[in-house]
Amino acid sequence: MTTVEARDIVKTFTVHRNGRHTVTAVKGVTLHVAPGETVGLVGESGSGKTTLARILIGIESATSGEVLYDGRPITSARDWRELRRHVQYVFQDPFTALCPTMRIGDALAEPLAIHRICPPSERRQRVTRMLDLVGLHPDVARRLPNQLSGGQRQRVNLARALMLEPRTLICDEIVSGLDVSIQAQVLQLLLDLQQRLALSLIFISHDLRVVRYLCDRVLVMYLGEVVEEGPTATVFDAPRHSYTRSLLSAIPDHSRPQSALQPDQA
Amino acid sequence: MAPVLSVENLTVSFPGRIGPMPVVEGVSLSLEAGSSLVIAGESGSGKSMICQALLGIVPKAATVTGNHILWNGRDLLEADERQWRAIRGAEIAMIFQDPTAALNPLFTVEHQISDVIRAHRRCTRSEARARTIEVLGMAGFPDAESRMKAYPSELSGGLRQRVAIALALACAPSLIIADEATTNLDVSIQAQIVRLLRRLKDELGLALIFVTHDLGLAAEIGGDLLVMYAGHAVERGPVQAVLDDPCHPYTRGLLRSAPTLSSSRANPLRPIPGQAPRPGTIGTAAPFNSRCPVAISGLCERVYPSWTEAGLGHQVACHRFAQDGRGGLP
Repeated sequence: MTTVEARDIVKTFTVHRNGRHTVTAVKGVTLHVAPGETVGLVGESGSGKTTLARILIGIESATSGEVLYDGRPITSARDWRELRRHVQYVFQDPFTALCPTMRIGDALAEPLAIHRICPPSERRQRVTRMLDLVGLHPDVARRLPNQLSGGQRQRVNLARALMLEPRTLICDEIVSGLDVSIQAQVLQLLLDLQQRLALSLIFISHDLRVVRYLCDRVLVMYLGEVVEEGPTATVFDAPRHSYTRSLLSAIPDHSRPQSALQPDQA
Repeated sequence: MAPVLSVENLTVSFPGRIGPMPVVEGVSLSLEAGSSLVIAGESGSGKSMICQALLGIVPKAATVTGNHILWNGRDLLEADERQWRAIRGAEIAMIFQDPTAALNPLFTVEHQISDVIRAHRRCTRSEARARTIEVLGMAGFPDAESRMKAYPSELSGGLRQRVAIALALACAPSLIIADEATTNLDVSIQAQIVRLLRRLKDELGLALIFVTHDLGLAAEIGGDLLVMYAGHAVERGPVQAVLDDPCHPYTRGLLRSAPTLSSSRANPLRPIPGQAPRPGTIGTAAPFNSRCPVAISGLCERVYPSWTEAGLGHQVACHRFAQDGRGGLP
C-alpha cells in the first residue's frame, strides 16, 4: 500500500558550457511512501534530491520512469492536477515562497479557489481554522509576508500546503533556514500535524540530526543515485555504504565524544 | 599569557524613536594568541554586530561605546579611519558567511588576493604573486599556481570559501573572525573548513573568533564559548564545560531544542516557547525573563543579573542560578 511512488526515475539536463553536455541528475531512483510514513531524503547539494521531489509533483518531468499515485501511473495533465490535490509541496525558502503583495489570508485561500474545493463564502472560515491549526493568530490573515518572522512565514507555508487536506506532504529543507528554537517549534508542529491528519511525509534535508529525529525510513542519495536505504535507526547506527559513513562523521555533534572530526589532510 | 584582544563592556546601539536602541549591550570578552572563542546565538542576538565592531565596520547609523577594545595594547574605540585601515585585513581579518558575496565576480582569485597584499605591504608583483600561492596553499586550495587564474564563478562553494580564507590569511593577521563561515556549505565541506581553521589556529598561533548558531559546531571548534541572547552575553566558559553542564535557562532551552545524532522521538524536542524580544525593549531586565520558565517575579523583569561562578572559568548571568544553583534550573 503506497500513496506516491516513483519508479526508475531518470532525469537528464542539457547544459551549454564549453559546448553541449548532458548531466544526469537522477539515475534510476525508486521511491515509495506508505500512508502515515515519514521518509527522509538526504544527500549533499547536487545529489538530486530536489529534482526527484519536483518530478514527484510534476514541476519537472522525468526523462524516463514513471510516477504512480495509489498504484495508478500518472500520464495526462488531468492526472497531475488530481495528484497535486493530494500531494503538496512546501518550499525551502519561506521568504520567496510567498507573494510579497498578497495578504496571508488570500494566499491561503488561493488553493481552495484553484481546486474549487468549497463555496467562496466558506473560504475565510477555513483559513481561520488552518491558521489556528499551525498555531498562528487569526489576525495574521490580514498581514503581508514582510510583517512576519521567518518562523511565522514557514508556518504560513505549511498552512497553505495543508489547505487542500493533502495525504502527502513533500517538505524540501523547510527548517534549514530557521533558528534552532524556531526549528524545534516547526518540527514539533510537523509531528503533531502528521499524527492528527495521518499525513505521509517526504522530508528532504541535508541535516542528518533532524532526519534522525523525524523520519521512519531514510534514503541516502549521492550523485543522483540512492546508495543506501533503510529504517532510520539501522542506517544511522550501522551505515553500510562508505558515503553514508562519511556523511555521518561530518555532522558536528556535541553529544559525541570530542574531536570526532579527523585532522585536516589537505 | 596576556590577551591579544580584550573587550570590556561593549555596547552597539542604533538611534531609535525613544533614544538609543542597543543591539549589543555590555559584552566583555578576551582572547589569547592561539586560542579560539565561539560566539553562539540566534539571529538578532547581536553576534554579527560584535564582529563588525571589532573590525570597525558597523553601519554608519550605529554608535559603538564601551570601556575599551584593547588590541595589542591599543584602544580601538579611539581609532580613526586611517588607523582602522591599517589594522583591518592586516592585523584583524574576517571571513564572511557568503563567499560569493565576499569575492568580486569580475576579478580573478589571484588579482583579488595580491591586491590585498599590495595594499598593506610594499612589495613587487612577483612577491605578491608568491605570497598569493602560499596563502592559497595554506587554505587548502588545490593547484594554486594554475587555478588562481580562475574567476569566483568558476569555483565551487567550498573552494570559494577557501579563497575567502586565503584572502583573510594574506597579510598574516593575528586574529581571524569567521562569521557563520560554514553555514551555507554542505556538511562534508563544512567539516573540512572547520578542520582547516583549527589547524591554522594551532600552526600559525592565530586567535580565532568563530560565530555560529550551531552548538554542535561550537563543540568541534573548541576553546571558549560565549552564549548571546538578545544582545547580551548570558553564559561563558570552556565550550565543553558549558555544553556538558549548561547553567543558563536559555542555553539549556537551546540545547533541548536542537536535535543531535542521538536524539529520537522518544525524547521529544522541547522548543523554547515564544520569540526573542526586539532590541531596545529589554531595558534593565534579565534579557530572557519573558520566556524563562524559572524567572523570579519581581526581580528578573527589573534587574539585570551579574555574573555568577558556575565552574572553572565558567560563568552565568542568571538570578535563579545565583539564588538556587543548579537545583533551581529547568
